[in-house]
Amino acid sequence: MTTLTISGLRVAVGGKEVLRGFDLTMHSGEVHVIMGPNGSGKSTLAHALSGHPAYEVLDGSVTIDGVELLSLSATDRERAGLFLAMQQPMEVPGVRLIDVLEAAGAERAGLHERMAWEVRRVDLRPELLERFVNVDLSGGERKRAEMVQFGILRPRFAVLDEIDSGLDVDALGAVARRLAASTDEWGCGVLAITHFRRLLHELTPSVIHVVSGGRVVATGGPELAEVLERDGYEPFRESAPL
Amino acid sequence: MVDRPITLLTLLTMTTFAESATSFISSRPDSEERGRAWSNFESIGLPTTTDEVWRYAPLAELDLDRFAVPATPTLAPASDFAIALGALAASVVRVVDGFLVDIGDPIDGVTVDLNPTSLTIAGDDPVERYASDAFALANAALCPATVVVTVAANTVVDGPIVIIHSANATASFPRTHLVLERGANATVVEYYEGGAGAIVVPVSEYRVADNASLRLVTYQRLDATTWHVARTTGLLERDGRLSQAVLGMGAHYDRSRNDADLRATGAQNELRTTFFGSGSQVHDFRTHQFHRAPRSRSTLLSKGAVADTARSVYTGLIEIEKGAKRTDARQTNHNLLLSPNAHADSVPNLDIRENDVVCAHASSVGPLNALQRWYLESRGVTRSDAERLMIQGFFLEMLDALPPALARLVEGDVALALQSVPVIA
Repeated sequence: MTTLTISGLRVAVGGKEVLRGFDLTMHSGEVHVIMGPNGSGKSTLAHALSGHPAYEVLDGSVTIDGVELLSLSATDRERAGLFLAMQQPMEVPGVRLIDVLEAAGAERAGLHERMAWEVRRVDLRPELLERFVNVDLSGGERKRAEMVQFGILRPRFAVLDEIDSGLDVDALGAVARRLAASTDEWGCGVLAITHFRRLLHELTPSVIHVVSGGRVVATGGPELAEVLERDGYEPFRESAPL
Repeated sequence: MVDRPITLLTLLTMTTFAESATSFISSRPDSEERGRAWSNFESIGLPTTTDEVWRYAPLAELDLDRFAVPATPTLAPASDFAIALGALAASVVRVVDGFLVDIGDPIDGVTVDLNPTSLTIAGDDPVERYASDAFALANAALCPATVVVTVAANTVVDGPIVIIHSANATASFPRTHLVLERGANATVVEYYEGGAGAIVVPVSEYRVADNASLRLVTYQRLDATTWHVARTTGLLERDGRLSQAVLGMGAHYDRSRNDADLRATGAQNELRTTFFGSGSQVHDFRTHQFHRAPRSRSTLLSKGAVADTARSVYTGLIEIEKGAKRTDARQTNHNLLLSPNAHADSVPNLDIRENDVVCAHASSVGPLNALQRWYLESRGVTRSDAERLMIQGFFLEMLDALPPALARLVEGDVALALQSVPVIA
């Protein structure tokens, strides 16, 4: 079993500390969901984990089986097993997805066929694979294209930043099924970040973390979703007692 | 500079460039007109670096006597790449040292001919048309004959026409006219290869008649020792569309002047140029979009990268004539420096004599987009591979006029060329 451990993570953006001692531990094959209101630090967590140049890590540690990721380049973090599916995947004109995946180390033999299969699993149009990375794709198509990369790269842990935004119900279902299947296929650990509760209907998490004020303020099982459904985030505001 | 071993044979046959030129000219039926172009070339002489538009050309190393004008083409097999390119074309026209050697497979509505004169595509005297351009005058004097590809009115050509230019002699002066008659539609690839230790001076002219459309890709993949001085001109009639991509990969000195004359209402010109420079290469791109009629549109995108001690120059002029109302002209230039000793200059110019126009230009010299690079890195791509993919992308973006199989072939060739450059990242 593989373990992802985030401990005491403090991250600043533009000089302002947004993550203020974030702790989370999860294992391969598990599905965890991080929920929290806008501005609670969810996206900062995703970006900091994969080494976005604008996010400054002040303190803390992120390890996979004891290997520290924060001292690694963005490339080596992915190669250590951590993949980020972005909220707003970037357009990279002139660069083809198949070339990216090959350069990322995907096995060349049969790559096109495996990509075509992953495309079908998330209901993308196959011709989109011929386009340059994310160029001329809608927001929802980009999210699904991230899942194609995910399916090819087979990370040990996947962090999905607002994977549900911009997706209609059918596409969300397809993406959630793809993620759930990965936990069986290669024991992927899935860490999904969202502020919508509807993702929980599609993707059944074993653990839910509620984030407020840049740290985890509550961790629990699926029953936590019912509390959120009923009461919203207000009872979880940073200073409020549980 | 190329070191050429001087053998006994070359000593015995050594002549000056001028001697080879006058001998060539005297053998042609129109030697009088050619002689006039040649004497004008001689009287204005090669440019010097004190001339602003030639400031960055290593003219001090240009010794014309290293070159000789060939009387006949030196036939040699084309490269594997050229053959593969041809295999995906609707028709392959082969030109060796400026001589047409194969007119390709027949296509309905397309003719490939030779015009023995040096007249311009508009029928004008080249000595007047190119009066101040020494290299174009040399071409008027020394081109064996103009290769004329004509697409008849309302003919839509499926698949690209590929013109393969091989430079085997030490000097070649190819001249190409592409004529798209009213309502015609075609895609043409002009590909240049060879040229080791040689000078290659192509002059191409394109006439796009009313409502015709020409998509053109020029891929320059000459040897790293070649002097390449090219000039292209598009003449666009009413609602004519010229979409032109120019890819400069090879040559020691790569000069490409690309002009468009938007002479009638609704003419549209899209010009995209890109280059990659390594070693001590110089890429020197000059553009002139001349809007002479209302509602004409031009967009220009130039993107290039220089490594090692390479340098690049981009000078673009948008000129809008009085009366060319509601013209829309845009020019963007991005240069990428990959080494502290590489240098890029960018000089956009506007000359606007009409008020009712939209005109914009932007230029930048800087590094690659850091967020795009991070995005690729976060997929597990190394920094050097990410940069290589992004630079390769400058070229790949130029190829969207081509059918996918042909575009992939050129992409593969670009990738191969970039792989041999160890300086990225």
